[in-house]
Amino acid sequence: MKKPDPRIIFALVLVLSSFAVIIREDLKLMAGLMLMSILCALAIGVDFRKMFRRLKRLLQLLLVVSILRSIFAPSGTILLESWGIALLTVGGIEMGALVLLRFGLFLTSGAMLTCYPVRMLIQGMVQIKMPYEIAYMISVGVRFIPQLAEELKDSLIALQLRGVVIEDLKLRKKLSLYTYLLLPVVVSSMQNAKELAMSMDMRAFRAYQSRTSFFKLMLCPSDIVILCVISAFAVFMSVVLIMGV
Amino acid sequence: MTGGFSLELKNVRFAYSDNEKRQDFSLYVEHFSPKGCTALMGENGSGKTTLGKLAAGVLRPDSGCVLYNGADIAKRKLGQIGRCVGYLFQEPSRQLFTAHPLTEIAFALELQGISKSEAEARAMELLRQFELEHIIGHTTYTLSRGEKQRLAIAATMVMEPQFFVLDEPTTGLDKRRRNILVQTLHTLLAKNIGILLISHDREFADALHADIRIMDGGRLVDEKA
Repeated sequence: MKKPDPRIIFALVLVLSSFAVIIREDLKLMAGLMLMSILCALAIGVDFRKMFRRLKRLLQLLLVVSILRSIFAPSGTILLESWGIALLTVGGIEMGALVLLRFGLFLTSGAMLTCYPVRMLIQGMVQIKMPYEIAYMISVGVRFIPQLAEELKDSLIALQLRGVVIEDLKLRKKLSLYTYLLLPVVVSSMQNAKELAMSMDMRAFRAYQSRTSFFKLMLCPSDIVILCVISAFAVFMSVVLIMGV
Repeated sequence: MTGGFSLELKNVRFAYSDNEKRQDFSLYVEHFSPKGCTALMGENGSGKTTLGKLAAGVLRPDSGCVLYNGADIAKRKLGQIGRCVGYLFQEPSRQLFTAHPLTEIAFALELQGISKSEAEARAMELLRQFELEHIIGHTTYTLSRGEKQRLAIAATMVMEPQFFVLDEPTTGLDKRRRNILVQTLHTLLAKNIGILLISHDREFADALHADIRIMDGGRLVDEKA
């Protein structure tokens, strides 16, 4: 099956992530939105198994955050109580689930964009009148994410090889440790950015005012249909939220 | 035997499982026990760095064992390994964590509960030992590559490791800075600290009187160069 035009996916991502932010308390609506985004992602060809493998740590962190959110925002029927303190409440669990679904929506939306080659994404951004420099910066930023992850991993190894047993440290020291990890990554990204900028200058990047492209994205009838469905969905969701249906 | 410390790799097999670029690579070492200063040489992609990382416990073998003083390190945490084996990465910037040279050396001690004043005193001593007093007051990321490298070695030395793995330490160093590094490494050897050098630089290995071992296609070639 032919993938939709990347501009259609931009519109879909914009709608999904906007509603992920706008929906504050309606768990059912958020769950519905999540289900829809999963179906869209599967249709585009997102490999969820690969995504889970890569984001395992982040997902664990999100789970912890949502559990903490459910503990610190008690409301509704108490399910578990200790020394007069409500540990688990129905409202708290709903809040935690909302946090988890919201981040899940952001990740799924981001994953949809990764199904397209960078060149197509840049062209899509340029054709929706985004300045080329910004489109290029976004694409470079995306390209650097795996490298940053690799550098962070190396720094963590180097830190442990200094004789630091992270698991044995107290929480306060563990937190201070993460500030140490950021320095080499930030410094190296700044150096990389400087070198990349120099190299782009040397290759005459933006030496001329106008830039043309042989490769153009064309919307086909099915793209128009999908865009109409997305627009109708956005209107429907807005009405549901405004009317509180 | 190196100052009472022995490192041995026995029947070690390793293959990259999740690295798309290196999925065709596999390493097998029947027996490797570096003594004094040993240099691993060979073409790019021959497995030198992989073997160095296996020796330092950064990578864990698929089968076989890595022994420190006869004990398998399989269940040891990397932080515990770091207290007896030091590792110098190819790019020293990746192992400098703070903005100031003194705190760079002292922070690992402080994390272990040693007081700030004592940690800084020991850091100062190491800076003197590695002739790096002149960089106090500089920020670590503005140092030259050679200074960063010596600072990284000094910072690793604070844990008093008994063995050192150095990955391509001469990359980007001029002759003068290379000679300074040779002197630094001779100081380590004089203290009975073992060195496993991963390098393409034959002249550098000779200056350290290293036992040269050649790697090819993930195997140690038996002949000694």
